[in-house]
Amino acid sequence: MFFGVLAGFVWTIAKVALPLMARQGIHRGIELDEPNALRNWTIGIVVVALISGLCTGMRRYLAFGVAYRVETDLRLKMFAHLQRLHFAFHDQSQTGQLMSRAATDLQQIQGFIVMIPITFSNLLTIVLVAIVVMVINLKLALLALAPLPFLNYMANRFSKRIHPVAMELQQELAGVSTSVEETVTGIRVVKGFGAERVQSARMKETAARVFDRAVYAGRVRAGFMPLLDFIPALGILAVVWYGGHEVLNGRLSVADIAGFLLYVNMLVFPLRLTGQLVSQGQRAVAAAQRIEEILVTEPAIVNKANAVSLPPGNGDVVFDNVSFGYSREAERAVLENLSLTIHAGEAVALVGPTGCGKTTVARLLPRFYEVDGGSITVDGVDIRDVKLNELRTAIGIVFEDTFLFGDTVAANIAFADPEATQERIEAAAALAGAHEFISELPNGYSTEIGERGFSLSGGQRQRIALARAILADPRVLILDDATSSVDPTKEHEIRDALKTVMKGRTTIVIAHRPATIALADRVVLLDEGRIIAEGTHVELLRTSSRYREVLAQAEGAAA
Amino acid sequence: MWSSHGVDEEDRLKKGETGNLLRRALRMLRPYRGQVVLCVTVLLLWTLATVAGPFAIRYGVDQGLANHNGAALNRAAVGFAISAVAVLILSRAQILLVNRIGESFLRDMRERVFDHLMHMSLGFYDSQQTGKLVARMTSDIDSLQELVQQGLIAFVTSGLLLIVTITALMFISPVLALLCLASLPLVLIASVQFQRSSNRAYLVVRERIGQTLSTFQESLSGVRVIQAFGREAANETRFAHHNQEQLDAYAYAVKISALYFPVVELAGNFALAIVVGIGGSFVHSNAITLGTIIAFVLYLQNLFDPVQQLSQLFNMLQSAGAALNKLFGVLDTQSPVQERQAAVDLPDHGNLEAVDLTFGYSEAGPKVLSHVNLVVKPGERLALVGPTGAGKSTLAKLLSRMYDPLDGSVRYGGVDLRDASFASMRERFTVVPQEGYLFQGTILDNVRLARPSATDDEVAAAMARIGVLEHFIGMEDGLHTEVRERGSRFSAGERQLVSLARAALADSEILVLDEATSSLDPGTEVEVEVALTKLMEGKTVIVIAHRLSTAERADMVAVVDAGGIVEMGTHADLVRRTGAYAALFGSWSGQAAS
Ligand SMILES: Nc1ncnc2c1ncn2[C@@H]1O[C@H](COP(=O)(O)OP(=O)(O)O)[C@@H](O)[C@H]1O
Ligand SMILES: Nc1ncnc2c1ncn2[C@@H]1O[C@H](COP(=O)(O)OP(=O)(O)O)[C@@H](O)[C@H]1O
Ligand SMILES: [Mg+2]
Repeated sequence: MFFGVLAGFVWTIAKVALPLMARQGIHRGIELDEPNALRNWTIGIVVVALISGLCTGMRRYLAFGVAYRVETDLRLKMFAHLQRLHFAFHDQSQTGQLMSRAATDLQQIQGFIVMIPITFSNLLTIVLVAIVVMVINLKLALLALAPLPFLNYMANRFSKRIHPVAMELQQELAGVSTSVEETVTGIRVVKGFGAERVQSARMKETAARVFDRAVYAGRVRAGFMPLLDFIPALGILAVVWYGGHEVLNGRLSVADIAGFLLYVNMLVFPLRLTGQLVSQGQRAVAAAQRIEEILVTEPAIVNKANAVSLPPGNGDVVFDNVSFGYSREAERAVLENLSLTIHAGEAVALVGPTGCGKTTVARLLPRFYEVDGGSITVDGVDIRDVKLNELRTAIGIVFEDTFLFGDTVAANIAFADPEATQERIEAAAALAGAHEFISELPNGYSTEIGERGFSLSGGQRQRIALARAILADPRVLILDDATSSVDPTKEHEIRDALKTVMKGRTTIVIAHRPATIALADRVVLLDEGRIIAEGTHVELLRTSSRYREVLAQAEGAAA
Repeated sequence: MWSSHGVDEEDRLKKGETGNLLRRALRMLRPYRGQVVLCVTVLLLWTLATVAGPFAIRYGVDQGLANHNGAALNRAAVGFAISAVAVLILSRAQILLVNRIGESFLRDMRERVFDHLMHMSLGFYDSQQTGKLVARMTSDIDSLQELVQQGLIAFVTSGLLLIVTITALMFISPVLALLCLASLPLVLIASVQFQRSSNRAYLVVRERIGQTLSTFQESLSGVRVIQAFGREAANETRFAHHNQEQLDAYAYAVKISALYFPVVELAGNFALAIVVGIGGSFVHSNAITLGTIIAFVLYLQNLFDPVQQLSQLFNMLQSAGAALNKLFGVLDTQSPVQERQAAVDLPDHGNLEAVDLTFGYSEAGPKVLSHVNLVVKPGERLALVGPTGAGKSTLAKLLSRMYDPLDGSVRYGGVDLRDASFASMRERFTVVPQEGYLFQGTILDNVRLARPSATDDEVAAAMARIGVLEHFIGMEDGLHTEVRERGSRFSAGERQLVSLARAALADSEILVLDEATSSLDPGTEVEVEVALTKLMEGKTVIVIAHRLSTAERADMVAVVDAGGIVEMGTHADLVRRTGAYAALFGSWSGQAAS
């Protein structure tokens, strides 16, 4: 940054010196015809031109270099921080918003930093030029420079006015993008219901809104841009007219006039840019504040100061009087005084109506959220005392909504351990009932999946997520509705494999298909955040009417 | 700043294409003929006014100062003032006009391309990537928009300024002008070189930015998985790598511009040295006047800056050209399914028949259906069953003319669907896809998709008819609940309910349904089941059944396998026959019992 500013200073001085030298050359060399003056001044101009050229390159390179580095560093910092923020933070933030922090806001800051060295140069230019012209002729200088502050003012106004309009236009354009995307993605629906004309009419409206905003932006531009050219012309007029009369009166040389004209021109860009700088600076500060807001959010779930290692064990899990709510304001907690012991190697099914808290129980165990009351222990240690990373590697979870990365199938399965051998990957896939269809993919395990790759069905995605959890070989495995999207005619294949996976491993299964529930040693019926019945599937069918009710809905639909 | 545009080698316009492109673009501007003429006139006047300014100054110096003539000086000042005001007014008019014309063009383009996309049949969408189609309507049109909003005027003014300046210099003193321009070839070569390298550098930058942002976004969406597997650190390393690559790409692009800009500046300053040094000696030998030197010094500023501007704008222009070319490419694509010239309306009722139907997704490729014959009588419900990939969905799509058969035909009431008008097709047929899909807007908007003219009451009545009204009325904003805001909160079952409500509102004679394969949450699954039953009452229905219960309730069951119908009859008949259907039935009921 320092060298950037320094190069900028040298460049500025050279730039301001050139017209002076031209003036001297013209005055002494041509008008007065002093011996050797013309040659010397010309050589002088060439030398200074070389210095100026060298510095302008350096200034550019250094300024942009620094600005981009700052942007890059900040982005990495933000990324690392976001990665470690707790679930509750991510529940409340929208990806789109965070992305605009990472893209637009960082650019805003970068754009401002780029301006810093050039601003120093510009300020120096303004001061030097003002001094030079005042020395040449004070009255003319005042006349010529008088209109220029307006230039600065107008540039500032323009920048302030155009920015919100440009943002609105951007917003409307984003609307076009959303519209097109959803229509093309949902083209089967559009065709199926004959809704082509409806969609076209909607696009017409959207396009009209874009037109409206864009024309308005044009009007703002038309209001300012010509004015920005006009203001310096007033300065030039002053030089030509008043200066001309001064020449006629013998108080000024023709070369002075030329010099003045060059100097007035030289001020145009610095004044415009410094004018924009104010509003650009304001935007950059706002952007920086938004980023700061993220960076000061402390991760709520971190290692304790004296966190311990998870002791060896087979996954003995105890929920002791656990209470939990997603927000303190909610009138009712999601889980209330829940106690549940799962012995090492046992498989427990959590059953209950939608929204009763099954998923919440599953999320508390890997400490994605902190309990409000009571405690959870794994192999005898409170999970709050265990090193977070160890806890989470010991507990494998297949989430309700499957998320896969835009990468190969193999990389997705080997997510927990990228070094895993092909055999291990295939073995995990086989256990998840995924090996067969993966082998039939265009590139087998090397097939790229995700947005830009091959698109898989919901059931196939779930099976890959299952394989991912299996490969991690966790002490405790949590399956949250992990086979819900699997084609019913295929589910039994997975069920057999699951038995193998669950053998001797503590497992929590959340399910509503009776056949899947039957995999568990014990069923826990959850209702409104409380355990209302426990027992085997058969026992509960016999003893609990609520259990029969919950299952009846699922069964009624499947039969 | 420099332009951030890049054009892929393959997208670059070929030689002959540019003229063609311009002609087509001009044709699209025909409705705005008057404005275009006005715009060109304003442009010419603006050019005159711009040139007049420096001429006035030169007149003032030569006639006023050199001849000690105060009146001439005053005239020059007045002339300059007039030209400045004229430029002010004219450039304002010019910006407004170019903007309005350009934006009208873009609005028409958006509408036309989208309309065209809406007219394309499914066959077209099979061969296209969603992302590419979206890019046509977004980044391609946006790059034209940028040209209209910023580039076009700058391009025209820079170009004119360059021409005018060179002309003026040549007019004042050809010899000195040629000397000044001596470094122009060097600048031009550097500019072309810069334009090429920066184009390439920017393609890389754009790609790397995309890479970084998509990694960022993916890591946000998948943050829960990353934390669950404790992969934060590893993932950070991966991101840091992309992040660094982006920085490297930027650094390279900056380096290119840091090498180029000094060349332009240097050329300008050398020219200044030439004017002073060599021009000065000309003055000594009385070849030129002092005023000429002054005018040259002033003009020099307008000589090299435009070259630099143009070389940057050239990238913008090029990518706009490539974009326009791709957009016209979309407009030139014909839909595989077309409405005949003399298309007739379908009758109100009639049998839906497949006659010797043969189809493959590509003419050369494998046949997905061969010689399928089938009759569905009015009010009859036909269930299609069979293994995945048998051709059930394909058959359903042909029966509703999403595709045209390769051979054979589909008829309704004796009329070949290929002879039917699109309007009557839309009226008779409704196709309900497997998964409920919601568009942004309210639930009302979403249901109304099927019949835009329906009033709110009609929508509610249709929803009530299939028993789903209550479900949505109970939400916070009732039927006015925004789908987007609650986006993911809508369960698959609820989306399905909206989809069925659409079909109820459309109320067409024939329903083609693809049943969902995945299980829904138990609560809504029952509702979907009830809604489906009510929806099918009194309709001719073709349903792709994945559930035993659906097949059981149909009037006829057709078992599709390997591109043909292998069995057809009532459920009871087929179970008795112990064929393919009986086997399928066995596996189904076994599963429901377990
Ligand atoms: N991330 C969250 N933020 C706020 N509330 C939530 C969140 N996730 C779930 N809930 C609420 O907690 C309750 C229990 O939900 P959940 O555990 O997902 O139930 P289940 O898995 O049994 O369907 C529901 O009322 C649900 O709306
Ligand atoms: N849009 C398409 N393009 C090319 N092939 C397709 C397309 N849709 C389906 N197919 C192929 O046609 C065959 C029949 O598919 P489909 O009609 O979807 O079967 P089903 O509905 O019985 O599962 C399959 O081999 C499938 O891969
Ligand atoms: Mg759940």
